[in-house]
Amino acid sequence: MSWLALVARATLGGVWVAAGLLKLPDPTENVRAVRAYQLLPEALVPVIGHGLPVLELVVGVCLLMGLVVRPMALLSGVMLVAFIVGISAAWARGLSIECGCFGGGGGPSVGASDKYPWELARDAGLLLASGLLVVRPRTPFALDDRLFPALEPAAER
Amino acid sequence: MSSTRTSRAQRTQAAQRAAEIRRRAEVKEQRRHNGLVTGAVLTVLALLVGLGYAIQSSRDTTGQVADVPAGVEGTYGVPLGDAKAPVTVTIYEDFLCPFCGDLEAALASWLPEYVEDGTVRVVYQPLAFLDRYSQGTDYSTRTVSAYGAVLDVAGPDIASRFHDLLFENQPAENTPGLSDDELVSLAVRAGADEDLIRPLIEGRVFEQWSDNGRDAASKERVTSTPTVEVNGERLPPMAIDQLVARIRTSVEAVATP
Repeated sequence: MSWLALVARATLGGVWVAAGLLKLPDPTENVRAVRAYQLLPEALVPVIGHGLPVLELVVGVCLLMGLVVRPMALLSGVMLVAFIVGISAAWARGLSIECGCFGGGGGPSVGASDKYPWELARDAGLLLASGLLVVRPRTPFALDDRLFPALEPAAER
Repeated sequence: MSSTRTSRAQRTQAAQRAAEIRRRAEVKEQRRHNGLVTGAVLTVLALLVGLGYAIQSSRDTTGQVADVPAGVEGTYGVPLGDAKAPVTVTIYEDFLCPFCGDLEAALASWLPEYVEDGTVRVVYQPLAFLDRYSQGTDYSTRTVSAYGAVLDVAGPDIASRFHDLLFENQPAENTPGLSDDELVSLAVRAGADEDLIRPLIEGRVFEQWSDNGRDAASKERVTSTPTVEVNGERLPPMAIDQLVARIRTSVEAVATP
């Protein structure tokens, strides 16, 4: 089980790092991508557009290093729930927008509604992985093992 | 004998209890320590996120004061034709967008007549949407800025010719696109004065205008190019040939036979 959790941690960490890094170069594009969902009030749109990529990168790096895994997995889950809500809402309202999940977004989109199901499935899978890490945050090769020696090793593992 | 045994058992029991109490204290202490370390790590991470947020915000120049080309319609439109024309066609487009090229090619065979006879006024809303598809040369932003520059120094008719030349020479996506030199020579071919236009194109003088226009369009919920409005009414997304037919029907409904 701890090995499955390790796979979950590495996958999730890698995805968050990629998502964050690909968004960082163009902050104006991120703002437009957030705006395209037509969900948030305009005052919040730039806050999310500028902050989200940084948060994604930090969560991803922490998960890869195995640093404070439980809080990071919790954050990861919260973000994924928000994305699932956003994409579902866009789909339900017939918006044809780019996901903007890995940069881009806010611009032209061809066949957006064909991509929504697969994007939702991906996020659901990642949400599952986040849930697993919230329940079982202890995995091999994690910085947490050094910082927080197990209280009751047998029970924790 | 029996009393000694009892007391030995009692002693063992007492020792076990003491060990249990010590162990609980250790666990409690460890929990407290873990809580403190977690709190400290999370605080540092929150500061990092705050710092990154500040950097991203400072890199986003959207909305900063921009030089606006002389002769624009509204703030971001490039007009063509009679201001009193009964039909206004507004076209949001990116000079790199292939569908925009298809649209322009299809309009070129019939729309200019209606612009000349005063039936149609066209307002081009150039959008630099596709900067990430020109191998880092920001072709979309460069062309929008150059388009504004030609309008600024040479007026709407020459700007319109420059616009048409840009679409006739449209590069494919994921290529570097035309160089600044090539943009200058197209502007000169359209009729602009090279000495006036070259520094404006090379200096990307209207880059901030382009950035602001793109953000304004996003607030107008223009999420794809080309987006077309006829007399302010936005047409839904559809295939280019259908789009051209819709525009033509609207124009011909007004045009006198």
